[in-house]
Amino acid sequence: MTHKYLSHQGLAALVAELLSAGTRVIAPVRAKDDAGQIDYQLIASYEEAALGVRLPRRSLKEFFLPPTEVLLSYKQTKAGVEITDVPTVAPPQVILGAIPCDVAGLAVVDKVMNWDYRDELWFGRRDATTIVNLLCNIMDATCFCTAVGLGPESFTGSDVMLAPVEGGYLAYLITERGEALLKGHGEEAAADAIAHAEAARKEVRGKVEPNLAAVPAEFSTWLASNFDNPLWKTIALRCHGCGACAAVCPTCHCFDIVDEHISADEGVRRRNWDSCQTSLFTLHASGHNPRGSQSERFRQRIQHKFAIYPSRFGDLLCTGCGRCSRACPGGMDLPTIVSELVALSEAKPEVSGQ
Amino acid sequence: MNIYQPHLMRIREITDETVDTRTLKLEFEDSGLAGQFQFYAGQFGEYSVFGEGESTFCIASPPTRSGYIECSFKATGKVTQALRRLNVGDTVGFRGPYGNHFPLEEMKGHSIVFIAGGIGLAPVRAVIWNVLDLRDQFKDVTIIYGARSVGDLVYKRELEEWGQRKDIKLCLAVDPGGETPEWKGMVARIPTAVEQTVTTAEGNFAVICGPPIMIKFTLPVLEKLGFPGDRIYTTLENRMKCGIGKCGRCNIGPTYVCKDGPVFTATQMRKLPQEF
Repeated sequence: MTHKYLSHQGLAALVAELLSAGTRVIAPVRAKDDAGQIDYQLIASYEEAALGVRLPRRSLKEFFLPPTEVLLSYKQTKAGVEITDVPTVAPPQVILGAIPCDVAGLAVVDKVMNWDYRDELWFGRRDATTIVNLLCNIMDATCFCTAVGLGPESFTGSDVMLAPVEGGYLAYLITERGEALLKGHGEEAAADAIAHAEAARKEVRGKVEPNLAAVPAEFSTWLASNFDNPLWKTIALRCHGCGACAAVCPTCHCFDIVDEHISADEGVRRRNWDSCQTSLFTLHASGHNPRGSQSERFRQRIQHKFAIYPSRFGDLLCTGCGRCSRACPGGMDLPTIVSELVALSEAKPEVSGQ
Repeated sequence: MNIYQPHLMRIREITDETVDTRTLKLEFEDSGLAGQFQFYAGQFGEYSVFGEGESTFCIASPPTRSGYIECSFKATGKVTQALRRLNVGDTVGFRGPYGNHFPLEEMKGHSIVFIAGGIGLAPVRAVIWNVLDLRDQFKDVTIIYGARSVGDLVYKRELEEWGQRKDIKLCLAVDPGGETPEWKGMVARIPTAVEQTVTTAEGNFAVICGPPIMIKFTLPVLEKLGFPGDRIYTTLENRMKCGIGKCGRCNIGPTYVCKDGPVFTATQMRKLPQEF
């Protein structure tokens, strides 16, 4: 991997060049409704970006799987129905200063979106995007990326990583796409800048690691064989089934498909975010519901993230961003729940009195 | 064209099976596509009424009859009620075929017992006609079909045809209280009908589909007869949106009905978590 040094002015010049070429640039900015909060948003100048301030309220998911998007539009005519495609090629965009756990989430979701049937809407946007993440130093007590195989220094899914050094950033050029982005920008990195960044990459892990011990590989197997464990009945008692956790999650990707009239003859078919935590999610037209209670729905969430997805695709469906815990109105804290479940899975079986 | 975009199909024929169940015969608008379209018995699709949405059903016609597909549905939810309002010549959307299928190749040279209850005959019918269209490649064909009442039996014209054929053993049954004075079939529930009709499991395959309660009580009968769990095939249904493993709602534990199914053996079914 090669490095470059990018001063603050140099980064501003890069953003200005991208914007003038018509490339969309997305960065963390101060939320319009609450200056204490951060949102990922399109920016019109580098000055708008608020890099490394705190975790954005929502993940990057919405830039690839929008909360609602049109899959097709239709028009009823006397002769029949006419369908109009939606473009699957997206305009070029650069994400600047993304948090590593959010970027990793995209790489995880890529796998299901490419499972035999390639979701061109997702990949159209993925292919058009260059991602520059920022070494994370904004962790709090709810973060647990190091417990799920990632870390605040993780390169996963990113093209360039920026690590703050004196006067600017050290840029790690992770992919060819990343090298292409910085072509003609930045300078050769001094050895002490590289050493400083490497030290920072090691140091940040220590700020997250105490929050939750690494989830052991055997945990998935234990979950799969404990589908009927009575613990599911009690574990979800504080879950309201609101689905806020799924909305803020970088890896929750479940969706609904619905038709929407525009007029009597015209309309669109839409894909909307959905959540396995709501009772309607699996409800059959007959009234039968395979996941009829909240405990079954919460079990699905934990099983999907820590057993089903890893068994299918090798990755946990969780990047440890902790947003679900912050968003939950019922105080369901995922790191606490996971650590309790892991403890249970590691508990020695009681020796039965022979 | 993205993967969620359906093909356009025209309704060529409408058959009312019962008061609330209807069969549509659909043809591709694009004749080139009609020639290319291939599927296997047991696969399913997403059928749509534009402006109302999509709904998941099996393809109820056999792959041995090309140029069209049929679906049978009960008007229950928003989409199925809208489908019921359509007329011959109207356009519907179709995405598919999706999922796995019944192992017709493996079944060749063997006898097959088909068991169905109510609208559960729809997926089984695709296999039955597939087998009947290649009749000389299979041994004995037994069909056991039942419904709550005589009025709830679907594909009545075909039941009549099967009853007249010498190369099919057909047993029709209705639940006690569901018979009419003219009824000549059995008055029994499916497990009893199976017990009284099937004498041997030797070299046989069983294909079974119907309400969960029927399957629950029929599987022990088949097992008692000696059918191994991996020769009993059934097809599951769950609510789906995408049909291709992405929308996240049809899974039963780690098993995706859309990708791993909808066709499962009894052995596979027993290993599934009880969440369906």
